[in-house]
Amino acid sequence: MKKKFWLVSFLTIILVVLSGCGKQNSSQQSVLKNARASNTLTWGVKGDTKLFGLIDVADGQSKGFDVDMAKHITKHILGPKGKAKMVTVTSQSRTPLLKNGNVDAVIATMSITPEREKILDFSHSYFDAGQSLLVPKSSTIRSAKDLNGKTVIGVVGSNSVNNIHKVAPHAKVVELQDYAQAVNALKSKQGDALTTDNGILYGLAVENHGFEVRGGTFTKEPYGVAVNKGQDDLTKAINQAILEMQHSGEYNHLIKKWFGDVPGFDYKELYRK
Amino acid sequence: MQNWINAYSWLNIRFLLLGLGVTIFISVVAVVLSFILGSILGIIRYSKIKYVSAILGFFVDLIRNLPLLLIIFFTYFGLPNFGFKPDTILAAIIAMTVFESAMVAEIVRSGINAVDIGQMEGARSVGMSFLQALWHIILPQAYKKMIPAMISQFVSLIKDTSLATIIVVPEMMQHAQVIYGQNANYILPMFVALAVLYFIVCFTLSLIGNHIDKRLA
Repeated sequence: MKKKFWLVSFLTIILVVLSGCGKQNSSQQSVLKNARASNTLTWGVKGDTKLFGLIDVADGQSKGFDVDMAKHITKHILGPKGKAKMVTVTSQSRTPLLKNGNVDAVIATMSITPEREKILDFSHSYFDAGQSLLVPKSSTIRSAKDLNGKTVIGVVGSNSVNNIHKVAPHAKVVELQDYAQAVNALKSKQGDALTTDNGILYGLAVENHGFEVRGGTFTKEPYGVAVNKGQDDLTKAINQAILEMQHSGEYNHLIKKWFGDVPGFDYKELYRK
Repeated sequence: MQNWINAYSWLNIRFLLLGLGVTIFISVVAVVLSFILGSILGIIRYSKIKYVSAILGFFVDLIRNLPLLLIIFFTYFGLPNFGFKPDTILAAIIAMTVFESAMVAEIVRSGINAVDIGQMEGARSVGMSFLQALWHIILPQAYKKMIPAMISQFVSLIKDTSLATIIVVPEMMQHAQVIYGQNANYILPMFVALAVLYFIVCFTLSLIGNHIDKRLA
């Protein structure tokens, strides 16, 4: 008799799971229409990345270039009274949150890659980053090619680790949860170099004397705003907003605001017209 | 040294304590809910009601043998597929409650089983119904026996709330990550602060548990 109960309960679970699959997916509704109706766009932004999206301990709000871009884009799409709601995401959680419809768009140091474009749609690039290396000043590593046989530290869920496999196939890679942990691993010599996008590395080099950014940029990492597949009207509206910001000089103003004080980084290179 | 002083600035400590508030909030809600739900589940499973006890027992066993992290992922990333989109704190509370209820259910069942069977037989022989006997005779003795197991379960619940950082719940561990995100040199001072705060909260709960245990024994 007891076996029968187990069978019944097992079937119940399967039924519950399957019944959920038939429901209308959030990707079929127009995010832009919903946003206009509620006058709110919900953005996924970083909470732990200096210069792009870092929570301010004084008021608990995330601040950075990405966050400001999100606010400006919202105003361009919804008008001056449009509200931008920020949800903190990580490199791992941003894609599922977007697919589930918890957030309308993600602007979180996310590079446009062919793999990601299979499941998400991207706006035009809004920031041209490139991958680089952070090493101790005494290090013999000069460029990415010197990484073969060395241990490289990266961050889980980001694209930079895959790129290392391409430029230095014999490098060993250690992946950590966030950039602060990665820097500390580098300091405690668990790895020879830390790799990620140059903008983030310069942010880390500022407070860690004895370390410097080296080897130039060996990849192009254009950051894009990610939206769910099939939301073409939202993608178009975001592209339009970014173009408007470049024409009006708002974009350059934000670049100067966030990257103007970073030593060793020529922010004027990032200017767009 | 300067790093340690800067790391413990009032702004940072305040932010950490705000996170502690969320940790305690999630813990308290999950403890209360899972105590009620777990007790009901445990008693039903003990009562051997046809079909119901077996099916609930299966779910309790299922959940007890899954990692809490997986349940957190399911409530945050899985539930939206069923049309319900909880925010991070609610998702964490649901996950903790589901997991802890299953744990508490087994503590309750074993607590009841630990009461001498003669107690039930005696109570029934003086004319009490099953429920009366359970409520007036068995449960008061059983809950006394459960206190140590229950307290240690709730202490691990508090510590397990740190798993919710993975879905960016603004609790203490996540706030520590934000603080050392501003300056990577704060990572060690923050870990020390976390250790102290978690210890204070969990040890206080243990002391309260011991006190109740002594008073009732």
